[in-house]
Amino acid sequence: MQPAQKKFLIRFVLALGAFYLLVSIQPVNDRIVVPFTELLVRASTSILAAIGERTQAVGTLIQAPAFAVDVKNGCNGIEAALLLVAAMLAFPATPAQRVKGIAAGLAAIQVVNLFRIVSLFWLGVHHRNVFELFHAAVWQTALILLAVGIFLAWSRSAGSGGRVEARS
Amino acid sequence: MKLALRVALGFLLGLALWWFLTPAYDRLLAGVAEGAVRLLERPRATRLYADERRLVIDRADFPSTSDRPSLPLDDLTFDVILFLSLAATTKGLFRDRAVRGLAFGMLALFVLHTAAVVVSVEAFYATRLGAWSEAHYGAVSRNVWATAVHFWRFVGCYAAPFLLWWLLIRPPESATGPVPRTPRPGARRRKGA
Repeated sequence: MQPAQKKFLIRFVLALGAFYLLVSIQPVNDRIVVPFTELLVRASTSILAAIGERTQAVGTLIQAPAFAVDVKNGCNGIEAALLLVAAMLAFPATPAQRVKGIAAGLAAIQVVNLFRIVSLFWLGVHHRNVFELFHAAVWQTALILLAVGIFLAWSRSAGSGGRVEARS
Repeated sequence: MKLALRVALGFLLGLALWWFLTPAYDRLLAGVAEGAVRLLERPRATRLYADERRLVIDRADFPSTSDRPSLPLDDLTFDVILFLSLAATTKGLFRDRAVRGLAFGMLALFVLHTAAVVVSVEAFYATRLGAWSEAHYGAVSRNVWATAVHFWRFVGCYAAPFLLWWLLIRPPESATGPVPRTPRPGARRRKGA
């Protein structure tokens, strides 16, 4: 393993571990993660209403007469966000590049995640037989692929920052 | 565009392989994980078997009339789709280094899946069996097993395939950013360069 790879690996694992611990703390979960998830649920419910679905938001639940989902960690996009931020912090770049990359990346992930929640709920209502496949495999993989894709695109543009840091 | 096509192909291939091979893979995983769980317990009472994409947990000391608990296995194994999708993005995937990386990565994922099953079963024992859990697991070990399974499901199962691809398959020079182009032998230098 090259020294740069080793450095990236160590930084990435440390950052991911630190973020995991942070979001696992009960007050952080109660005051940030859960309210954020409830916000996502309300936004999803509005979109579902706009496409003609009769739904209502109750906390982190989206309910329809014949179907309901509880949006939890793993479905709120936080896992993809943590992965992206940890990778961007581990990769050599300037602080400005990191801030821009993280802001744009998180926004893209949450927009796509909103579509994920809406589409999964729609599948649950209209095509229940494929809901679990899309929930367990397709969308989880697609969201992480998006995070990795954003990171790779960003890491190419952040190359000059990497050389600056590598020299120092 | 080519990259997007490669990702899509890798994703579809990974999805198809995962979907159709999972029943056989689950049986293998249950068998290996059972041996590992039994190493951690006295008396060796656990029996694990796969049934309809779930892991059924049986114990010699469970009442014979009670239902057997089960855990979803798809949640633990779907990361192979992510790994294969990422592998498909790599140019020269069928060259020696990448092929070795792919094989080693798949082996590493199998080891991680086995560990994830063991941790999930131990977390189930430690936290979901009421008085039995409290009698057999202390407060610290209950927290350790529960945290381990939560960590794996929350971030570990996504980070592992990414890191395996990044370290084993992706060309090593990419790890520090774009590689500066080296001038071709005999190429003229521009003035001031």
